[in-house]
Amino acid sequence: MLETADLLKEGIKEELKSDEMLLNMGPQHPSTHGVLRLVLRTDGEVVKEAVPHIGYLHRCFEKHAENVTYPQVIPYTDRMDYVGSMNNALGYVIAVEKLMGIKVPERAEYIRVIVAELNRIASHLLAFGTYGLDIGAFTPFMHAFRDREKILDLFEEASGARLLYNYPRIGGVAKDVPPGWLEKTRAFIDYFKPKIKEYNDLLTFNKIFIERTANVGVLPLDLAISYGVTGPNLRGSGMKWDLRRNDPYSIYDRFEFDIPVGTGEMGTVGDCWDRYWVRIREMGESIKIIRQALDQIPAGEVMAPEGLKAIKPPKGEVYVRTETPRGELGYYLISDGSQQPYRLKVRSPCFTAMSVFHEIARGGMIADMVAIVGSLDIVLGEIDR
Amino acid sequence: MKAYFQNIFEAVRSILIGMKVTWRHLFTKPVTLQYPHEKLDYPERTRGMLFCKIEDCIGCLQCARACPVNCIYIDAPKAPKEVDLGVTSDGTKKRLYVTQFDIDMTLCCYCGLCTEPCPTECLIMTEAYEYTVYDRSDLLLRFAKKGVSY
Repeated sequence: MLETADLLKEGIKEELKSDEMLLNMGPQHPSTHGVLRLVLRTDGEVVKEAVPHIGYLHRCFEKHAENVTYPQVIPYTDRMDYVGSMNNALGYVIAVEKLMGIKVPERAEYIRVIVAELNRIASHLLAFGTYGLDIGAFTPFMHAFRDREKILDLFEEASGARLLYNYPRIGGVAKDVPPGWLEKTRAFIDYFKPKIKEYNDLLTFNKIFIERTANVGVLPLDLAISYGVTGPNLRGSGMKWDLRRNDPYSIYDRFEFDIPVGTGEMGTVGDCWDRYWVRIREMGESIKIIRQALDQIPAGEVMAPEGLKAIKPPKGEVYVRTETPRGELGYYLISDGSQQPYRLKVRSPCFTAMSVFHEIARGGMIADMVAIVGSLDIVLGEIDR
Repeated sequence: MKAYFQNIFEAVRSILIGMKVTWRHLFTKPVTLQYPHEKLDYPERTRGMLFCKIEDCIGCLQCARACPVNCIYIDAPKAPKEVDLGVTSDGTKKRLYVTQFDIDMTLCCYCGLCTEPCPTECLIMTEAYEYTVYDRSDLLLRFAKKGVSY
């Protein structure tokens, strides 16, 4: 039996009743998507209180950034959200470019959009595959990873790495894409489009899957907004908010695409199934963007001349937010005129998604916790940084 | 009662739809490779183990400065005026003895930033990705050989 002091240490507010029990989930649990520890106060099968404990993957990103030069921060940003690295680095380089007033060449902008959207598909595929895995469906995972692998192959050809790319650079991209890469990307999206229907057959409309996720972990819109939840989680609650459309960065204002929102098709608006369904439909929208970008991409340089010299932004501060696969990723950058950032604060979308967890987990079953964590699609590397 | 059987029917129906996908895939080629026996061809830009062609190194320290994790250790004392160290393969004149050129691959983060500023292109990332060793110190690559001045 735990004493009250111990309970407070675990974040549990009140003393346990005699028929209640504290249950530790994580930090090493296959469905916590990283190292996340959940302390659950359970009454039988019902979770009365859920307290997430984070910080197991803390690597001092923000402090590190103050001690390295501007280009050297990019490999560190890759390691925050390691399944959406391109999008992380993209936000950072846009922040520095805004501070320095660099005009990025057209071709580089298009390449950035193509790789960012490919990365969004890869990230959503991982979310889709592992969500099935969490719920107990193994087959969709293999399908998702087969197709994700093709995207990683494309990335490896362009950047040289499969996971931590270090590809977008301040002023452009590291290298122009190799010859034939754009055709391969087009072949991939042609191949990938019919696969989404396959995923739906395998998992989305499976009755067992729907029973596990519909009406579970309902996140009402007002709660989502008051906690600052963004990305597919917010859109799953029915809000049409996407920074690519509402506050366009890079060249996203040139593309036609829809913003999928949750409608409560299988249950309540904002349940796990809605969040999941938003991600699946977003993959289709990403394909649309990539196709348009491939049609429009011009020839030319991929690096602005300022990017080749030593990066030394003028004094000042800037806040840039971008839409990563997980939501609004913000970089608040202060420069003191030297070659190293004075301060770099990251606003993490996963952190806000995680902070709403205790609200939507209350009253659920223990087995639902896995479904809720999976549907929020968090990456602990980004929460802890 | 009706909803109960409806549910069962729905579950069986949707499982069969899923199984149809699985069934179709039974007749396709496997996508996996039997790894140690078969290997993928890696693209040209693959960032694997670092390699330095030390004969071409001029000891300019640019790679060490570019490294975000400071895993490159170089010691390059200046050569006296009368000593001619020769030229690199691209014709750059060498002015420094490179007595130490160590890369700690246990620290390396494979970002490739060090290979970009190299003026003589002697530091490259190879395709090698299998380098398990028994001792951690074996991953400290020493490119400058003892007693040889470059």
